[in-house]
Amino acid sequence: MATVPVDLTHAAAKKSADKAQFAERFSRGSALLTLFVGSVVFLIPFYVMLAIAFKTESELGKTDIWSWPKNPTFENFQYVITNPNVSFSLFLRNTIFISTFTTLGVLLSSSLVAYAFARLKFAGRDRLFLLLLATMMLPGIVTMIPTYVLFAKLGWVNSFRPLIIPAFFGGGAFNIFLLRQFYLGIPRELDEAAFLDGASYFTIFSRIIMPLSGPVLAVVGMFTFFGTWKDFNGPLLYLNDPELQTNELGLSTYNALQASKWHLIMAGSVLVMIPIVILFFIGQRYFIKGIVMTGGK
Amino acid sequence: MLSRLVLSIGAVCLAALSLADVTIRFTVWDGDEASKVLKEEIGRFEKANPGIKVKYERNDYATYFEKLLTQFAAGVAPDVAMMDPNNFQRFSKRGAVLPLNPFFNTAVDKVSPPFDINGYYPSIVKAHSLDGNLYVLPRDIAPMSIIYYNKRLLREIGLEKPPEDWTWDYVPHPEKGHSDFLTLLKNLQKKRADGKVTGWGYVPGWQDLLTDWAVYSIGAYYCDDAANPTKVYFDDPRVIKAFQFSADLTLKDKLAPSSFDQAGTNARQMFTQQKVAMYHTGIWDTPQLRTEIPPVSKGGFEWDIAMAPAWAGGIRSYPTGGSGYSIMAKTAHPKEAWLLTQWMAGGPGMLAMAKAGIAQPAIKKIALQEPWIPGPNTPADQQVPQNRIITDTSEPFVKFAPTGLLWSEINTIARQPAGTIYTGDAKAADVLPRSNKIAQDRLDTLLKEQNLPEFNWVVGGAVGLLLSAVLIGWVYWPERGIKRTLRQKQENRAGYIFILPWLIGVVVFTAGPMIFSLLMSVSEWDIIRPARFRGLGNYQEMASVDPTFWTSLRVTLVYTLVSVPIGMVIALSLALLLNLKVKGIAIWRTCYYIPAMASPIAGSLIWLKLFQPEGGLLNAVLFGADGKSGIPFMRDVFAPLIGANGQINWLQNEKTALGSFIFMSVFGAGGGMVILLAALQGVPQYYYEAATLDGAGPWRRFRNVTVPLISPSLFFTMITGFIGTFQVFSNAYQMTQGGPNNATMFLVLHTYNNAFKLLRMGYAASLAWVLFGVILIFTVIQLQSNRFVHYEGSER
Repeated sequence: MATVPVDLTHAAAKKSADKAQFAERFSRGSALLTLFVGSVVFLIPFYVMLAIAFKTESELGKTDIWSWPKNPTFENFQYVITNPNVSFSLFLRNTIFISTFTTLGVLLSSSLVAYAFARLKFAGRDRLFLLLLATMMLPGIVTMIPTYVLFAKLGWVNSFRPLIIPAFFGGGAFNIFLLRQFYLGIPRELDEAAFLDGASYFTIFSRIIMPLSGPVLAVVGMFTFFGTWKDFNGPLLYLNDPELQTNELGLSTYNALQASKWHLIMAGSVLVMIPIVILFFIGQRYFIKGIVMTGGK
Repeated sequence: MLSRLVLSIGAVCLAALSLADVTIRFTVWDGDEASKVLKEEIGRFEKANPGIKVKYERNDYATYFEKLLTQFAAGVAPDVAMMDPNNFQRFSKRGAVLPLNPFFNTAVDKVSPPFDINGYYPSIVKAHSLDGNLYVLPRDIAPMSIIYYNKRLLREIGLEKPPEDWTWDYVPHPEKGHSDFLTLLKNLQKKRADGKVTGWGYVPGWQDLLTDWAVYSIGAYYCDDAANPTKVYFDDPRVIKAFQFSADLTLKDKLAPSSFDQAGTNARQMFTQQKVAMYHTGIWDTPQLRTEIPPVSKGGFEWDIAMAPAWAGGIRSYPTGGSGYSIMAKTAHPKEAWLLTQWMAGGPGMLAMAKAGIAQPAIKKIALQEPWIPGPNTPADQQVPQNRIITDTSEPFVKFAPTGLLWSEINTIARQPAGTIYTGDAKAADVLPRSNKIAQDRLDTLLKEQNLPEFNWVVGGAVGLLLSAVLIGWVYWPERGIKRTLRQKQENRAGYIFILPWLIGVVVFTAGPMIFSLLMSVSEWDIIRPARFRGLGNYQEMASVDPTFWTSLRVTLVYTLVSVPIGMVIALSLALLLNLKVKGIAIWRTCYYIPAMASPIAGSLIWLKLFQPEGGLLNAVLFGADGKSGIPFMRDVFAPLIGANGQINWLQNEKTALGSFIFMSVFGAGGGMVILLAALQGVPQYYYEAATLDGAGPWRRFRNVTVPLISPSLFFTMITGFIGTFQVFSNAYQMTQGGPNNATMFLVLHTYNNAFKLLRMGYAASLAWVLFGVILIFTVIQLQSNRFVHYEGSER
């Protein structure tokens, strides 16, 4: 991009380049080392999960909790998948359905709302924004019953509707706020130029803002998908029929009062995690796909 | 009472006229195995009762009542619901479940024999009754008088089984030999050469079981009246002695393994691994033990059960549990509900449960015969334990825990120091009288609650509307008199079209419940009965009476103020590191985000294991698995935190519990990391290049280029971090229930307990709104001091 002005003697340049290269290598090396050590620490809980999931129940009782099983077994996974009382595949279908549509709703509506809060001037905007934030500040416990009564009156209880439909109406203050922060970082010259060319607000939103928001939309989408995927309280409250349940509820079946089945809980959790880990692995490239910000100063 | 009786009889008669196709919803908290049995039995019930369909629903015990109450409030509760002695009063006292007595004499049909409540064990019937009415038809009873014993280990000291005339006392009586419980335990104890105990005679299923057993055996009790407690007795010298005995037996005398010796395995596993000769619990563990103890040929051992010893003075008394089914008052089909109840908590249901070995039948006759008692038709693999008759013979000696409505809260307060007694960090005589006094004061306050006037919903609704109007006025007040150009008008309209989804969402789904909870905060509401107006009473109570409020506010503030900044620093560092262009960076990123993806159930269980004092990973890393290797000098560094057991009891020690939660929160940094990583992509590379040319080093580039350009995201992470962290409670709920001694009692956990454990929804609402105020102030301060935030696209 920019050309480096060379007004140093060759020798000095070489020396300083060597030095810079060494510093560069050193800092890179130490960064990688930090990454490695940190990831080992961060993976400990997951490792323990795996270690338990691959143990038989009797081995689990006899060995240290973190020891790797002598003969790793898939029988816990097999049990969780084939247990006719807690149908894993049916629950997985339900979970996928709810997560997909919730994510869709959130992406659609929160990006629209955030655009207005970030880019348009309308009456009462800043105070409305504070109200938006305020909706996050009251613990859900005390609004749970009236909300439930509301959905019961609408006849939505025991269906996916209370879990999905609200996502289409705003998509949550957290997501709106996050998107707004990103939109505010996009230089204004872009939409002003488009506006002068006669583009409507919606055209600006869909042709300029959206294409530049790939990374943050990926983040919002993934957060929502993962959050819905492992949501426990929502499905617990609103779904009664066994055939409507989600994986997270299914896992809790193994956590019964007198006999917590650790090996099954962990095997099930690992299974439930696999799809979202893969999704993250694939998806992370989208939220780091460098967006080109032209304009600037 | 009488009118309700007549009404229910009327309802029964009315329903008898029409036996059309009806659906009965039936909810339980049983686990995987019992669910299977129940579902099969429901199938048989439907076959025998054409025209009745049963919908089976289940929830964990932990969330069961919360959901049932919510459903009840919305008028969509199931028809038949599982209940137990500790919980039914919450429903029966408020008329939410039907008294069952009127159903007894209703001839269901001409074929079945008349219903006979006298066939049930009297103790479990009594535990489910109040003021002469039965509210729960008992399904099972579970006396905790069962000692599972290892025959091989007993034979080593020359016994075939525990002596039937055995007794126990706080002091050993060696002259009685094996018939003295403590002497027997002494004889069963195994020591290594260096004196460390490696084998024990006895382990209770959980430590409170031993304590309760000791309390009941010496004839003491925790309160004056089980059904309507008014006096708390945790300061009774006998109760104090029992707690201390329970702690000393494990820590001082080492006659039973302490939770530290158990090292992560549970009591049952100590028994199946032959480290303990006798395991004290209820009969419900039988199916599990059958699968866990291999046959003798495969390295297992012979085992059976015996009745736990009597107290030396001659009293025999055992804690107990049990459960049954209730009919919800709002059911549209009481007759069909009764048919189902009578089936599931009657002969057919009990036989099915007995056959699976899951629960002791509540009908004595069924508990005395096959398949509950093994006989010639019992399959070989179900012959053990042979001595199952003791489930019946110990029934006259059972004692239920207090069932009173307020007991749950009072018990929690009074028992608060139990954990520290059991770890040897406090003496029962020092801490119990203190906690007892707090509990007694609380009980007095709760009992004194005057009869408040009913909440006036017309006034309430008007206040709600007024508040909304004020809020709308506040939003638009600065806008008055502003003249807009045509373009501004267009922009204004476009703005509202874009935020329309959110506006509708707020008005329909959010505003109503929020206003409702605000109204409840000036009320007394138990979710079941109509709300009563309390004025500012809730707020006064929190400021002056409730001992837990201030503690929980402090805990929440400390946790938030420490963990949010730490979390942000870590999230930012991770984002910078993971922004490097190196091979395989996708894998690194995934690694760091994995903890944030784990299912919450598994997550909290794993952390319990990592924090476990003995056999937990954290202590093993610091001090080594054997307590000697590990990182050098760690013992000196952590000396003030090390407990009587020579370990750090992370979650059981007041000094470390909150710190442990903060440590745990670090692992959630993945979320913030992802947001900041995405933000870093928006920093144009040429800014760095330009800065480098200007001679800026890495720190100045970071300070003057990176930070300003990602400041909108940093700002976001900070504000939402505070908002979210202030409301954290689920890990504390799962892992410590707020203990030890309220060290992890987050404000929202306190709110939750009030709402769903104590049914004080009004008080919970006031707590929530106080937290709302705190968060709002915090957020506004942050919004005001946003000068460090730099928006590339800000309006000029």
